[in-house]
Amino acid sequence: MTQASAASTPPAACLDRLRQEVLDPGLCVACGACLGLCPHLLLYDGQVAAPDPCGLADGRCIDLCPQNPGPDPRQRRAGLQAARGLGDEAPLGPVRRAWWGRAQAADLGGRAQYGGVVSALTALALEQGLIEEAVLTQAGQRGTPEGVRVRDREGVLACAGSIYAAGGSLQALNQALAEPAEHPLGVVALPCQSLAAAAMGAHPRYPAGRRLKLVIGLFCTMNLSARGLRQVLGQAGVEGAVTRSDFPPPPAGVLVVTTRRGVSEIPLEKVRPITLKGCAFCPDLTAELADISVGAAEGSPGWNTIIARSRTGQDLMELALAKGLVEAKAVPEESWAHLTAAAAGKRARAGSAREEINHG
Amino acid sequence: MADLTKLAPGAAVLLQGNEAIARGALEAGISLAAAYPGNPSSEILESLADSADSAGIHVEWSANEKVALESAAAASFTGLRAMASMKQNGVNVAQDFICNLNISGVRGGLVLVTCDDPSGISSTNEQDARFISRLASLPLLEPATPEECLAMMRFAFELSEAIGNLVVLRSVSRLSHTRAGVVPGELPAGRALPYWDPKTRWFTVPVVPRHQVMLDKLARARSIMAASGFNRYQGPDRPDLLVIASASSALYAAEARRMLDVEGRVGILKLGCTWPLDEDMILSRLEKASHVLFAEEIDPFLETEIKALYAQNAPRLGVMNFFGKGSGHLPLIGEMTPGKLAGAMAGILGLSWLPVAKDYRLQATQLAQGMAAPRDLAFCPGCPHRASYWTIKQTLAVDGRQGIVSGDIGCYTLGLHPTGFERVNSVHCMGSGLGVASGLGQLKKLGFKQPVVCVVGDSTFFHAALPGLINARWNRSDYVLVVLDNSATAMTGFQPHPGTGVTATGQPGVAVDVESFCRAIGLPAQVVDPYDLGAAQEALYDALQQPDGLRVLIFRRVCALVQGRRGGHPWRMSVDEKLCRGEDCGCHRYCTRVFRCPGLVFDEARGRAAIDEVVCVGCGVCAQICPAGAIKAQAKEDAA
Ligand SMILES: Cc1cc2nc3c(=O)[nH]c(=O)nc-3n(C[C@H](O)[C@H](O)[C@H](O)COP(=O)(O)OP(=O)(O)OC[C@H]3O[C@@H](n4cnc5c(N)ncnc54)[C@H](O)[C@@H]3O)c2cc1C
Ligand code: SF4
Ligand code: SF4
Repeated sequence: MTQASAASTPPAACLDRLRQEVLDPGLCVACGACLGLCPHLLLYDGQVAAPDPCGLADGRCIDLCPQNPGPDPRQRRAGLQAARGLGDEAPLGPVRRAWWGRAQAADLGGRAQYGGVVSALTALALEQGLIEEAVLTQAGQRGTPEGVRVRDREGVLACAGSIYAAGGSLQALNQALAEPAEHPLGVVALPCQSLAAAAMGAHPRYPAGRRLKLVIGLFCTMNLSARGLRQVLGQAGVEGAVTRSDFPPPPAGVLVVTTRRGVSEIPLEKVRPITLKGCAFCPDLTAELADISVGAAEGSPGWNTIIARSRTGQDLMELALAKGLVEAKAVPEESWAHLTAAAAGKRARAGSAREEINHG
Repeated sequence: MADLTKLAPGAAVLLQGNEAIARGALEAGISLAAAYPGNPSSEILESLADSADSAGIHVEWSANEKVALESAAAASFTGLRAMASMKQNGVNVAQDFICNLNISGVRGGLVLVTCDDPSGISSTNEQDARFISRLASLPLLEPATPEECLAMMRFAFELSEAIGNLVVLRSVSRLSHTRAGVVPGELPAGRALPYWDPKTRWFTVPVVPRHQVMLDKLARARSIMAASGFNRYQGPDRPDLLVIASASSALYAAEARRMLDVEGRVGILKLGCTWPLDEDMILSRLEKASHVLFAEEIDPFLETEIKALYAQNAPRLGVMNFFGKGSGHLPLIGEMTPGKLAGAMAGILGLSWLPVAKDYRLQATQLAQGMAAPRDLAFCPGCPHRASYWTIKQTLAVDGRQGIVSGDIGCYTLGLHPTGFERVNSVHCMGSGLGVASGLGQLKKLGFKQPVVCVVGDSTFFHAALPGLINARWNRSDYVLVVLDNSATAMTGFQPHPGTGVTATGQPGVAVDVESFCRAIGLPAQVVDPYDLGAAQEALYDALQQPDGLRVLIFRRVCALVQGRRGGHPWRMSVDEKLCRGEDCGCHRYCTRVFRCPGLVFDEARGRAAIDEVVCVGCGVCAQICPAGAIKAQAKEDAA
């Protein structure tokens, strides 16, 4: 839309724009940022839908959606970074400090995805009162992930481990923020969700968003459709609840899925078709808008890569170190270079995907 | 309806057209009447049902119109008089039987009453069912008044027995539902015992010679009908304009003639016996006029046939001018009115005729609108169909594969409109929803990726859905059937149906339930309460996710109006103004703008939703859709 026509035509309804730009072209990544705000946006079994018109021009859904690029996606990210006093450094986002680390707590053993740093930091933030409630992600009905609200260590541990599927878990965050309460909140968020969380915190018509005090980000290359994954697992004869899943580093070329009956390997060719289309447009590997971001540690199973971005994130990590909850070491230079290259690659791929859609 | 046997012979009473038809049948001594409900015909069987005990006859709602006529024919074969009544669509359902029965013939007088619905006021079409007479070579009677309804019914049975064939009597909405003075005649004293001589057979072969027999019967009917006195001419001997009219249109024509003050110039030939044509009488009138206007509803039936008759006699009659639907002087669609006829007459006669002035009409409409509550064509407050369509809309949305809904005939046809969230994609005739779904359910192998839901009401299920369902089962069609079971034939006025286990006369029948039927063909049917939105959505979602084949859900909740008569719904509803989000982001009038139960209103002054306590029945469904939990349901007992 040109400037001139924008001035003369009334602004399109927010929900219509969300439909047009995100839902109809299939770019929704089911982060959940638009859910739980109003009854028009529905989530069921990992799918987001909006069957009815809402009619409002200035609703919040479209503003919170990480997949709504706006005229300049980079500028949008830079603006949100600037709103919290940080920069938009390429390609890893703001970095205050980085470590390799792993949690010490014995009760994390086996349940955490890698080093358990995410769970350890979340539990610590709750214990310290930095936050009183955290929104995490857990397998719900049918194995589809969903947002859950936890207030203690036990709740955090129940959510440990990664589910490689999208389930709109930020819906629970909006629901928590809609309640008449004052307490501070935290969230464990994928990169798309970290962007959405930053948008909530900065949105002028979302005052409750200021209650969001901590975003622990997860690294992410891409996510899968929950229904698609269920189908693929079904076809591969995997039955029963999945207790653990992982994409081991190349050259493995498989998704490893553990159930009570055993371990199965699903070749990546089966997984690719159920990858969310919208993920191809996401430029963010390391959750650049989080307070602290956590991912795998290349070649070091059982360890995490940790990037503190904000003061809050760094303080939390340092407190964990001081308390002996997490042990840490320096990130090997080669590994950091790989991560940087991977992040640059994701930014570049997203850029060309966006170009293609705009001009193709 | 009332017991029509109680009317005193010779004493004028006000009777509805449909009641007069029923009384005429009683006076003719019918022993069996069967029908399937449908506006505008339903009251015929209802009043016969209320008279059945005193008359000592069998009256039934049948599962469909074809079965109704077949049952009536059976009585006729045993020598009894019988009838079947239906709306125009029903004639289509019965048509296959009609087009064979006409060849085999009948013994006891047998009359088919069709009530047509010009303008489709309560129908899915505005079909002219008179063509069944033309198609099946059967005598056709068209009464214009309740008085004629009664007289023509008596005549119809005599005629049927005289020629040994079925006779068709056709009414229209305005006649069926108008009330006028009627003088009832005597009821018959006794009736013969039904007996079928085992040596007699009713069948259609050999076809060709029997076809000739059928035509001979029609020819005999022509002369009997000509002597009936139901065809009358009124007007100057050599009119400037001859109007040939049938049924209500004959009355409208007389009114138009009066309005234009042209009684001295316009003659009206009112035909009550419209097939076969009384050719002699019609030709004798054509000889004395050169301009002819046809007035009838709905299609140009008489117009076409009389023009053909003219063509046959043109050398003798010379050049004539015909006006009507063919010439464009009258519209081919919609009900006839005196105004339309006056316009046509004035045009032909070269008179100036000012119908209602445009701005007057506009003003009158606006004034009338101002007096009516703003309300669209909507499900009743508390209607389970609203809840069911809500579930279908929400579930197909989150299913995300652009599901299609194949609809059927009943109250739930309104799912086409905003009250059903426009969540119906196709509607045609009774049972066709299942046939269409059955076909859609085969297209997966051709690349059709959208899931299919079919909705059918409980009454329609028994009427015409079963072959479609069996076909789908047999051929492994892939769709989800949702039976919207409100335990009533609500659309047409709460007549019982096979599922209710009660007969037309209120006697206990044997209830045939949907799930037993489904189970019998190997389809486990899950019963869900549509008022429980969460449970219903879950059930439908699960059904949609099942990989292949036919799945059946029964959304069972009694019609809100029936529930009203049974003591009402449990909740007293209210809106907590502090919680209601009004027009803000986070709602924007969701309940009144999207859910749209008439029990909910938006209080513009306060910017908050409110319950219209007069309209709300207290079903409690809306409390489940409010995102803020502002709509509160309190048990009526506690509230009282
Ligand atoms: C979809 C997905 C893709 C990922 N891709 C990469 C990658 O490419 N490279 C990489 O280094 N790391 C990736 N990760 C992150 C990695 O799997 C670990 O979550 C991370 O290293 C933290 O490990 P941990 O042992 O500290 O986690 P834990 O202590 O086990 O905590 C895991 C946390 O993840 C949250 N979680 C689980 N599933 C989801 C989900 N679907 N959405 C949102 N939150 C969820 C849980 O709430 C829990 O708090 C991905 C994670 C997910 C969910
Ligand atoms: S990407 Fe997130 S915010 Fe955008 S439409 Fe999907 S769920 Fe909603
Ligand atoms: S309770 Fe709600 S849905 Fe039910 S009738 Fe009243 S206003 Fe309508």
